[in-house]
Amino acid sequence: MSSRIRENVKHFFECFCEVVPPSEDKDAWIIQQYPDKYKDQDSLRSVPKFAYPYKFENTVIQHYSFVLTDLEGKWTFGFCRHDPKSETAIVILSYLPWHQAFYKFLDTIAVLMHSSRTEDLSEFLSAVYSTKIVEPGKKISILFNRGQSSFIVDVPKPFQLPSIPENRNLTEYYNAVDINNMMIIFASMLYERRIIFTSKQLKRLSACVQSANDIIYPMIWQHIFIPVLPQNLVDCLLAPMPFLIGVPEDVFKKVIRSELGDVVVLDADANTVETPFDDLNNLPQDVITSLRKQLRNKSAVLGDGVSRAFLRALVQLIGGYRDALKFQPGQKVTFDEERFIDTRPVSLQPFLRKMLQLQIFQQFIEERLMMLNTGRGFSDEFEFELENYSAKSGSKLKQQYKEWTSTMRKEGTAFFKSVKDKANPAMKSAVKTVKDGGKGMKSAYKGLRSKLKDGQGGPGPQPLQNGDVKPRSAPNSPTGKRKTLAGLTAPVATYRKEASLAFKNANLQRSYSPLSPGSQPITPDVLDTPRSGSPIDIPRIDLMNEMKDFLELNLDTPPVDRSLKPVRSLENFKNTTSPLGSPERRSQPPPPRPSLHPLPSLSSSRFYRDTQNLLQSPLEGPVLSPPYVPPRKPHQLLQEEFFGSATKPVVVGGGHSENGDPVFYVTSKNAVDVVKLTPPVQCSPNRRKQADDTEDLIRLDSASDLDDFDPLKTSSSTSSYSTPTHSQAPPLSVSNPLYNSSYENHTIRANDGLTPTTFDRHDQDLLQEYGLDFNFSGMQSNKPTSSFDPFSPTNKVKTQGQWTKFE
Amino acid sequence: MASRDYDHLFKLLIIGDSGVGKSSLLLRFSDNTFTGSYITTIGVDFKIKTVNIDDEKVKLQIWDTAGQERFRTITSTYYRGTHGVVIVYDVTNGETFANVKRWLHEIDQNCEVVNRVLVGNKNDTPDRKVVLTEDAQRFADTMKIQLFETSAKDNINVEEMFMTITRLVLKSKKEMKQLQSAQNDVVNLRDKKKSSKKSKCC
Repeated sequence: MSSRIRENVKHFFECFCEVVPPSEDKDAWIIQQYPDKYKDQDSLRSVPKFAYPYKFENTVIQHYSFVLTDLEGKWTFGFCRHDPKSETAIVILSYLPWHQAFYKFLDTIAVLMHSSRTEDLSEFLSAVYSTKIVEPGKKISILFNRGQSSFIVDVPKPFQLPSIPENRNLTEYYNAVDINNMMIIFASMLYERRIIFTSKQLKRLSACVQSANDIIYPMIWQHIFIPVLPQNLVDCLLAPMPFLIGVPEDVFKKVIRSELGDVVVLDADANTVETPFDDLNNLPQDVITSLRKQLRNKSAVLGDGVSRAFLRALVQLIGGYRDALKFQPGQKVTFDEERFIDTRPVSLQPFLRKMLQLQIFQQFIEERLMMLNTGRGFSDEFEFELENYSAKSGSKLKQQYKEWTSTMRKEGTAFFKSVKDKANPAMKSAVKTVKDGGKGMKSAYKGLRSKLKDGQGGPGPQPLQNGDVKPRSAPNSPTGKRKTLAGLTAPVATYRKEASLAFKNANLQRSYSPLSPGSQPITPDVLDTPRSGSPIDIPRIDLMNEMKDFLELNLDTPPVDRSLKPVRSLENFKNTTSPLGSPERRSQPPPPRPSLHPLPSLSSSRFYRDTQNLLQSPLEGPVLSPPYVPPRKPHQLLQEEFFGSATKPVVVGGGHSENGDPVFYVTSKNAVDVVKLTPPVQCSPNRRKQADDTEDLIRLDSASDLDDFDPLKTSSSTSSYSTPTHSQAPPLSVSNPLYNSSYENHTIRANDGLTPTTFDRHDQDLLQEYGLDFNFSGMQSNKPTSSFDPFSPTNKVKTQGQWTKFE
Repeated sequence: MASRDYDHLFKLLIIGDSGVGKSSLLLRFSDNTFTGSYITTIGVDFKIKTVNIDDEKVKLQIWDTAGQERFRTITSTYYRGTHGVVIVYDVTNGETFANVKRWLHEIDQNCEVVNRVLVGNKNDTPDRKVVLTEDAQRFADTMKIQLFETSAKDNINVEEMFMTITRLVLKSKKEMKQLQSAQNDVVNLRDKKKSSKKSKCC
């Protein structure tokens, strides 16, 4: 696996340490730790060094993170808090990259350390340590302070892209480094250079390094990765291999630059990059141009616009990997490098040849192949964007791809088992893919796309879905949102960008995809036209975020330095935002399912905000899937952003069929894997709704379904998926099996949270229905290669039935 | 750089699955045997040794990184800045040899010419040996690289192996210089190397 984040993590944290700073005659040392049984001496020995990487004066409370790498190349994250009023630093070691959650955790600990009752701290640590990690989208809630306070963590869902301002790291990076320099660093990472970041602030340093890695998602930095380099390890900068290292400025000053050789140096304080290379200009020009254009769109800064812009650049660059997959019955799916090059536009080929020589790309391919070959399939933001991008290009390929996936599944009898073992979200997607399969759908979809492309003005709807739904939604369940959100006009914000992208993409695709001609007329055109008129991007501003933290934390948290500055140009947004969505709608809760709470942290938190903050509302709404979310108590809301690890696939929590969607919960240790077999339409419906509502587009047939079902149940959307998706939204999501699936998964998860106890039953039911009856299984067996169309109806029916059942 | 105490500085890379004894080899070879290892905390470590070859002082930095076995292929970017590679397997573990073979094949296919030696470590308990010398030698021959069977534990063949790779690097550096002066090019060494290598191999 290419992921460097551990799977099946058992504890929220591995160890808590309090560290005494170095003195004249003594190095920094650990004065106390919890639990005592943590005996990783290598880590413990290095904690003081990373807690005090050099001699520094602290004038404000500062959070930062560092990373330890073990012999397998896996990462352990260290979260550190310095308080000028405290003589010591406190550090948490964890396998989870949930920055926001751990910073909050540290704040809580800091409060308890000053508690008059000395047992408070140990009781709290003990309670948190022994609490199991729940599945993604659910909450971890721990009472402390003799039951008077609660510490709550929203377990992040997989595939969330870092967004501004929720993600502190990205926000810091974006604020410190301008777009062009971000792009240079991005390019340098794609060339696997030796890269040094430097800053006077540890907080900024670690945030920038972490974000730089997040931004190359779906790839993961495979080389030396040291977000904060202590003074004593400075010789590591001599390493001849690629690295990404954050060097505190004081440490860097002592380095003899001439010894370093060719390095790329980003000074995050001065916002300057020194590089002996011309990597950015060596990237394919059209990719750079569109990336720059997207990043310059200030109105799309809030939310995951920045992350998504880079993601789209990567889609353009490496998305073609699918066309190079080779499959022979009975054999594993393989990747044909030559075909990968040959099927790409000529303009990209020179760079792609280099791409093949990248460790990060090779690991990416390895990971995808492994997922395919184990029948796990995958659905993530990358595949989703890819679908968008290449809807035209290869319906054939897509079908083939689906078939492969299904075949692999079949072949692997142990499919489910394996899934369980791995607890990987990918499974779900695979399933979805298969289901999606309706050819008709696809063609319709294509048609839409082509139209969109043709009529540039029209692209509105697509972009909406993409921008709004995709980014945030991956985790969220679309359907629920739809209803509540539907009313919202909000979704306007990101359209522009996306639209432009869509066009570009479309053109590109055409160039090399003969299949693309969009022959099918799709209603979405209508949508497009209206959309085009509104170029406004609605920013989602989370001013309330910080407030939340305080609210949530019942304790008086000591003043934390929150560096998250809202976007540079907030004002720009204000104007646009106000008119947008009506937060209230969203707030209207998702069909009242008290039990559903488990919603993914993002969605929930966002949802909450939405209600609070009008500015945020429109965009978020669609994405967030408010519908699923039951009204929350403010204190429950947690920081949404734990996904510091956008790159890492987090284990997906088991989904329920509550929605009516058949979901498998695969439990692996801590995490539960949910495999959703149902048709992946869910997400699309939500998106559509947004679009529809605003644009008077055709409603999903599912409407009825939706009405019947709780918003929480995304499944409704799924059921309707075949017709509605096509007709309404050209949205990529619909056609894209992966995409759909991912959404479904998310939704499911959310639902799951509702009734934890019911899982088992459901699982059984689901397995039976799905494993055996499954649409796709049927498809596969009956018509391995052929169409998917026939099934869609079935799916609907089934899902509905399931819904009733579960409900 | 008048103050430097060496004539050449070479950076070598040691690759192989974890558990094949890379760290032990480094430790055995290096000057500073007492310094701690950081590979378990930051995933990278290196050792330094200065050796004399033909009256020239060569300073060696030998680098190791963690978790290489997760790579099906090790790509050229990983070798880019290095002068030579020491590829290690464990003679008592066939899987480690399989990995090494795959990596080397891959390197060959990509026309990357890096100075390298093949090392079968833990060659100290004959009854546990599963990678036969003949097999390894045959493979080394087809790859046109030298094979060393070593034991870091018993300090067998370690010195010889490192000296060999050092000589290889030194030789190719001198060849390169000649080539350079012949072409009368004023190009930075690294670029030069690359281009000449490529032309050679492809």
